[in-house]
Amino acid sequence: MFSISKDYAPPFEMIAPFFKIGAFFYLTGVIFLLFLDPGSSYSDMNIIGWTHWFLLGFIMMIIFGAMAQLVPVVVEVGHFSVDLYLVIWPLLMAGTVIMGTGFIFLPAALPYGGLLVLTAMIIFLYDTSMTLRRVEHISLTVKTVAVANLFLLSGIVTGFVMSLAIGEGIGVDVNKWLGVHAVLVLGGYVTLTIMGLSLILLPMFGLSHGFDETPINRAFKLMIAGVLGYFFSSLFGIGWGNILFLLVMFASVSFYLQQIIIIYKTRARKENDIWAKSMFFGYGSLSFALILGILWLFIDAQKLLLGSAWFLVMGFFTFLINGHLYKIIPFLVWFKRYSPLVGKERVPMLHEMYPKREAEYEFIFSAAGVAIAGMGILFGSATLFKAGVSFLIIGAGFMFYSVAWMINYGKNKE
Amino acid sequence: MCNITKEQVYEAISTVIDPEVGFNLVEMGLIYDAIIEESCNIRVVMTLSTRGCPLHQMITQWVREAVERLEGVGVVEVDVVWEPAWNISMADDNVKAALGGGAAMW
Repeated sequence: MFSISKDYAPPFEMIAPFFKIGAFFYLTGVIFLLFLDPGSSYSDMNIIGWTHWFLLGFIMMIIFGAMAQLVPVVVEVGHFSVDLYLVIWPLLMAGTVIMGTGFIFLPAALPYGGLLVLTAMIIFLYDTSMTLRRVEHISLTVKTVAVANLFLLSGIVTGFVMSLAIGEGIGVDVNKWLGVHAVLVLGGYVTLTIMGLSLILLPMFGLSHGFDETPINRAFKLMIAGVLGYFFSSLFGIGWGNILFLLVMFASVSFYLQQIIIIYKTRARKENDIWAKSMFFGYGSLSFALILGILWLFIDAQKLLLGSAWFLVMGFFTFLINGHLYKIIPFLVWFKRYSPLVGKERVPMLHEMYPKREAEYEFIFSAAGVAIAGMGILFGSATLFKAGVSFLIIGAGFMFYSVAWMINYGKNKE
Repeated sequence: MCNITKEQVYEAISTVIDPEVGFNLVEMGLIYDAIIEESCNIRVVMTLSTRGCPLHQMITQWVREAVERLEGVGVVEVDVVWEPAWNISMADDNVKAALGGGAAMW
């Protein structure tokens, strides 16, 4: 019988910085969007700089913080050494700042930022892999977590080599490896990890039971095959292979979406709280990103690729993360400040521990911002793009406020 | 001879509330049985709404503490089982109505 003891759950003080810093990078990331030209190429240094700022500082920072809490839930054993998380966030934060600004202002600094990020991620991977070695029941989710971590390692090593190429001029074809780096990290790690985590979290929060898991098993296998195939196609310079394996990855996402529909259909909990609305928008964005991605394979237009990436990152990743923050942070705060008081005095319910009005504003402004700015990218209108970004900035401001509000809830109980 | 009844045990456990959904464990249908021995040792058989529940250990501890508050109780054990798996049909009607209430978005 499995249970999570207090020894398994990381101390709140240890992981709160991940959420605070992640919210800061989110807010600054969307502000920086105002200074980007939506008509730029995906290999433009400003775009790449912003991408690293946002993906490392916000997406990866929050994922790592959440993994500190969720790895024991998913793999059903305690961390090998949860104390390692104390050094991950400072290294990742410093490395992200150096890399994000390095791309734009000082390419020579890239290897130093890259080294810090590489170190942070190797520490994360060390803890995760040592934790996985303790697992007795090797489920498909556990295998997927293991493979996703290998992809992350490959992705960050590839990225570090590219940072050496840009910063120090070593002889590596950056354009050739840019796609591999993106596929390994975004497809191989972020998407696979989100697939694995959502298989646990969506049924948990939606109270879904007894559903068929065939689609998610297909999705896991196809994504792994697609990422591996894309890697080797690039390695051996097989152009049609890249397209074929991108299609395999798109097929994986389609099966994943099918699984999500099944989970939602079997849910017992049908209230439309901020979490449910965020999931709805997130999966809608993923569907739209998928359609744009497929179109891009047949119509080689830069706008379609950037549009697909926009809805994937800003619509799907961001809404899934932000939506879950309204669940994860109240839980961690409740666990620390209120669980010792159960049976002694009235304790708040988790849904009382986030600011409902501000969360609603965050959702409305952010969703409008993603949609409007996305149309700006697709129609090539910088004005529309910046109008959407303005909405996003307001939404991010409410998100930043909400994270601080949740973290400070019940502070007088300490 | 033990004077504690099953109803008293269930009533004691109904003070334990799942902080995520806001209902007590009895109305959620999570308590499968309470076996009371003549010596007043009690074994509670229960489940959880999800296998990976991060509050697993704390909830079983709260159940044990709630039952231990009954007068004359002996040793209290809490067994968490996964068969039969919980589903919403096991919950009280008020829980079903509240969870499924409101307009569903999709």
